Amino acid sequence: MTAPRTVVVTGVGALTSHGLGLSPLFDALGRGEPLAAPIDRLPELAARAASARRAARVDGVAWDEWLARRAARRMSPPSIYGVVAARMAQADSGLEPGEEPDPEYAVVLATTYGACSYSQRMLDQILDHGPEGISPLLFMESVVNAPAGQVAIQCRAAGPNLSLCLREAGPVATVGRGAAEIAAGRASRALVGATEEMTPLLHGVLDQFRSLSDHPRPLDRRRDGFLAGEGALIMVLEEEAAARRRGARLRARVRAWGGAFDPTAPCADWGHDPVPLARSIRAGLARHELAVDDVDAVVCGASGSRRGDRLEAGVLRDLFSGRDLPPVYAPKGVTGEYAGAYLAAGFAALEGRPMAPPAGFGEPDPELGVTPSGLAGSAPPPAGRVLVTGSAAGGSAAWAVLERVDQP
Amino acid sequence: MSRGEPVWVTGAGAVSAWGWGVEPLWQGLAAGTTAIRRPDRFDSSAYRTRVAGEVPDPPAELAGRFSGWSGWSWADRFAVAAAREALDRAGLGAERPAELANATVVLGSSTGGMLEGEEYYEGLRRDQRSRLRLITRQLVSSPGEVVARELGCSGPVETVSSACASGTLALGMALERLRAGEADIALAGGSDGLCRITYGGFNALRLVDDEPCRPFRRERAGLSIGEGSGILVLETASTAAARGATPLAILSGAGASSDAHHMTAPHPEGEGAARAVSRALVDAARGPGDLAFINAHGTGTPLNDVAEWRALASALGRVAGQVPVTSTKGAVGHLLGAAGAIEAVATVLSLVHGSVHPTAGVGEPDPEAPVDLVRDGTRPIERRGAAVSLNLAFGGCNAAVVFEPGSPPA
Repeated sequence: MTAPRTVVVTGVGALTSHGLGLSPLFDALGRGEPLAAPIDRLPELAARAASARRAARVDGVAWDEWLARRAARRMSPPSIYGVVAARMAQADSGLEPGEEPDPEYAVVLATTYGACSYSQRMLDQILDHGPEGISPLLFMESVVNAPAGQVAIQCRAAGPNLSLCLREAGPVATVGRGAAEIAAGRASRALVGATEEMTPLLHGVLDQFRSLSDHPRPLDRRRDGFLAGEGALIMVLEEEAAARRRGARLRARVRAWGGAFDPTAPCADWGHDPVPLARSIRAGLARHELAVDDVDAVVCGASGSRRGDRLEAGVLRDLFSGRDLPPVYAPKGVTGEYAGAYLAAGFAALEGRPMAPPAGFGEPDPELGVTPSGLAGSAPPPAGRVLVTGSAAGGSAAWAVLERVDQP
Repeated sequence: MSRGEPVWVTGAGAVSAWGWGVEPLWQGLAAGTTAIRRPDRFDSSAYRTRVAGEVPDPPAELAGRFSGWSGWSWADRFAVAAAREALDRAGLGAERPAELANATVVLGSSTGGMLEGEEYYEGLRRDQRSRLRLITRQLVSSPGEVVARELGCSGPVETVSSACASGTLALGMALERLRAGEADIALAGGSDGLCRITYGGFNALRLVDDEPCRPFRRERAGLSIGEGSGILVLETASTAAARGATPLAILSGAGASSDAHHMTAPHPEGEGAARAVSRALVDAARGPGDLAFINAHGTGTPLNDVAEWRALASALGRVAGQVPVTSTKGAVGHLLGAAGAIEAVATVLSLVHGSVHPTAGVGEPDPEAPVDLVRDGTRPIERRGAAVSLNLAFGGCNAAVVFEPGSPPA
């Protein structure tokens, strides 16, 4: 029986409100400061009281070096963000695409809302000009898997191509799904991650649900919502033996992964049962020959959502019951929700980079029993294994363990 | 990589233009006629084409059976109804079967509750008021979430939205989870509802026929949009056998690929689709000579059917023109994210009944796509063997699954 294939991360690309790549994300995590900008209010929603007026936006981030403007004209914003981040990840990995599409190269991307700006424009066309007024280009790029399709074309990835929709759990779910493809031998490499655009309509609708805040305070007693974000973060996963043979830098090993569902969750909010996700993590760790005590740090999906943070904290209390919690980082207070930028904190923890608690955090919530770790300017010891969790409104949840790897 | 123990299909459920349930689906498919007609879900008079595979009104008792029914989107309702039927047929008829506590749910969907989202936006534009409830059902992840919530599942719930390959990809993803030991039972398939954006978008691309589609016919002129759901109950053989279940079929393999070629047109030589078929057969430890029939993607567009023939020729060699081929789309339309799912149900039903349903549609076969097209009535499955169900999608996604008979040879 052959040894199971192990999976490593060899490249990361990111387009976020903080800029391009991991470096500005690491800086922001070290300061604990989000970067948000005003977002227009849709005229139809302008008259309504708003809780939030800002989002973690990528306007003004110059991505031209990664994607020619001429090619970008035929792409929706999520496709643009996805291709930019994917190309950056490939360059970071040192594994540039060849001339011919690679049938061993998978793509697994997550999005929650897809190209909603394009869908909205198509609806406007229908309402203003009738159905014959629909632009074919808008339709082509409005499909949820357009970013994954564009990434496949631009990055010459001709392996399995999956577009996952697990809402806020999507980004970390792609890490597990991509690792599973490689571990099972269905691919040797994979581009995994998330892409999202935040439009005035979407922001306004989320605000109608009282989901948003301009000042996210994950795990804080006063928390009142999450900071909506956009952009993309994409990683290159590779089969470890092949990556070592070519001398790649190994950013992390994807050691374990899994998912769960909380059936107590209503469709528009988080649920209240931490047991499914905690049980999934315990079982998944065991399946990958790990135990809870092997986790040195946690990057949790707490975002500032009242119920979401309660659930994330409940999972950790259940999981580490009877033990001291390892350091728990809550990076969505810096990166915003959506598009997977918070995954950067996993690499920061593995590399021992300083991460501060999110700005604005000041009052621990005794109901949660979890406080974000970190101290500005203080570098913790590098973590050996980092558990990354992500739970979603509507009930889905996913997790993965990133492991520090000895460099070749 | 060990493939582990076999994965059985122990239940199947369907909602289609033929009605609510697998029985009306199979009766309609076997008759070889089409359920594609003028839709009522929205006013299609201003569209270039005016036919679709629309699901008829549901039986009255369904609304009474599910307390959340009135608040669900059509895609949600299709999914829950199909899931419930599949579970009933699998012998898991309790309202929240204990066996499902750790079940995984993997569904494909490309539009979810977009029709309801369109209604929300129109109301917003019209008078700045609209019911928030409408927009909560718009997400493509909603059908899978509603199914899991309704049945009390706490295993992983995934939605894959890779256009027309979604349903088949979902089956492959569920197969992988079962093989990996992450779950013992899965509900897998897809659900999609008609909506104006999709109906208009395909018309804008001039891919829609104004008559019911005619897969693999020489005079074919485009596809027909449809809606509905197909869901299979998948179980590891030991789990199913332990509770006395028997297999309708065996899901023995899955394969996927991308053309990495063009966003809407398939690779002209069908290279990516050929790889998906080959990978599925390898995964199933089967070869082209083991095939009893193929349920093709068969949309009825000029480009797809030829590309698909070339893919089959590439993957199967000289056998390609000898294996019976059918397409479900001529009868119920193209269910987009649920296409692979309803076609998987049709494939399982063919294996159960021992006959391949004909491809609805009129006209002579296209000599440029010389598949052995099953038409003019059902065709008995003459040799015991595997069946491939294949789908090609926007963005260049391709996916294939392999089913085998569940009953032992006579």
